[in-house]
Amino acid sequence: MADIALYHWEPNANSGKPMLALAEKGVAWDSHYTDLLNFDQHKPAYLAMNPQGTIPVMTHGDLVLTESTAMMEYVDEAFAGPELMPADPRDRWRVRWWMKFMDQWLGPSFSMIGWSMFVGPSVRQKDPAELEAAIERIPLPERRVAWRKAISGSFSPEEMAESRRRVAQGVALLEEELGKRPYVGSNQYTLADINIFNSTYSLPLGQPDLAGPDKTPNIMAWLKRCYDRPAVAEVWAMGRTDLAKRVSAMMELL
Amino acid sequence: MGAILYHGQPNGPSFSVLAALAESGLAIETRSIDLLAGERHTIPGLAEPLARDMGLEGEGPVLVADGEAMTDAVFLAQYFDEAAGGCGLQPADPYAHWEMMMWCRQLTERLAPAAACLGTLAHAQPALAALGGDAFAALAANIASEDLRARWQDLHDGAFDTAKLADSKAKVAQFAQRTEDRLADGRDWLMGDFSIADFETYGWMAGMRALEPEAFAGKPHLTAWFARIEARPATQAALAHATVADPSAAWAPGPEINRWG
Repeated sequence: MADIALYHWEPNANSGKPMLALAEKGVAWDSHYTDLLNFDQHKPAYLAMNPQGTIPVMTHGDLVLTESTAMMEYVDEAFAGPELMPADPRDRWRVRWWMKFMDQWLGPSFSMIGWSMFVGPSVRQKDPAELEAAIERIPLPERRVAWRKAISGSFSPEEMAESRRRVAQGVALLEEELGKRPYVGSNQYTLADINIFNSTYSLPLGQPDLAGPDKTPNIMAWLKRCYDRPAVAEVWAMGRTDLAKRVSAMMELL
Repeated sequence: MGAILYHGQPNGPSFSVLAALAESGLAIETRSIDLLAGERHTIPGLAEPLARDMGLEGEGPVLVADGEAMTDAVFLAQYFDEAAGGCGLQPADPYAHWEMMMWCRQLTERLAPAAACLGTLAHAQPALAALGGDAFAALAANIASEDLRARWQDLHDGAFDTAKLADSKAKVAQFAQRTEDRLADGRDWLMGDFSIADFETYGWMAGMRALEPEAFAGKPHLTAWFARIEARPATQAALAHATVADPSAAWAPGPEINRWG
């Protein structure tokens, strides 16, 4: 048994961030697959670890860590292996700036679309009473609202339009950024690449109107650089849903 | 390094960045601008305005280095600490560092939008509403971010949602309690040793003491912590940048309230 355990869902969005950071560092860890679609993260044993009921959670000995981006910084600092933050202070600032832009502006818009297309339909066929009870166990009020809307498919047209606007603008800004440097915010592969890759690894498949060889050549070249990394193949092989299967379709596209 | 820090009155993120700069000892030129006059959106010499235009903090300070706009108070404070070779603003231990980053993340997502909502409504709304339509339109036209521009517009129009107001009051009270609880074991600073989290939390809370006094009542640890922060020379250096009598009443549109609910 490893000293490190990670409670994670698919290699995707937040769960994939520490999975990939640990793989890049070459750190051994125990995997505890936590099924988001089965509300595993709101069960008592999970809530005892993380009262906010968010995925992922990492334990390192007696330490319990949440918040995937801060968790990745911990992984980078606590373990030997390749540096996943640049050395230059301004590059470090830029890496952090992009991670926040993804975590708090672009990412929530991606996930509103993803939840309405994937998560909502995936859980909707469950028993309504069972679903309601599951929602009631969610500790954070804003997550309760989000789950209700995802399950009932009731994100408003205005909310969806705003998310689509942000995704279009965010993708255009990322394309521009990747025209300045080979990686996000710096000249080396860092936590910002891991972070943003987790939300964009299948972007040309999900949003072909926004991203692809003709529209976003810089993003495509960067995705190729990311897909060439052994850690990406190792981590995406752990996926169990159709999300992870997009990787082989992406490989054909790159 | 030839960089220039453009900042507002020492409150919120302008406070924490000025205080972190003073703590770092870096010789960076500072220039005071009127955030509520939209001057952040007309800073000269920006070859790379992205972080100014699309930063999530709203009207926070902007550091211009080699034509690149750098924003976000927490990350600027980390930048000063790291550019100074480590001036004690970040814990060296990885777990303590994680705790600081997590604290700051939750603060900027929960307390900061709530405080900005209440602060701007009380202190910025009357001045903006008094601006004529043409004057406001000219100001708003310089704001690149559509969602930040919408927050300015709502404030100008006095369009606020009572549910968001109630939620903001609740979030300020919750964070005050959380801070009191954190200090209850007798520690001097939020992370044990002094860190960016102290300046960041102080910056967003200072103006809430007058607006939401009940949130701060009966919290002895929090009151003593406020006094300790205020006794730091870097805090006094930051506050000395004020050009108004009470900088904690100076507000301009801040971060967005979570769109998910």
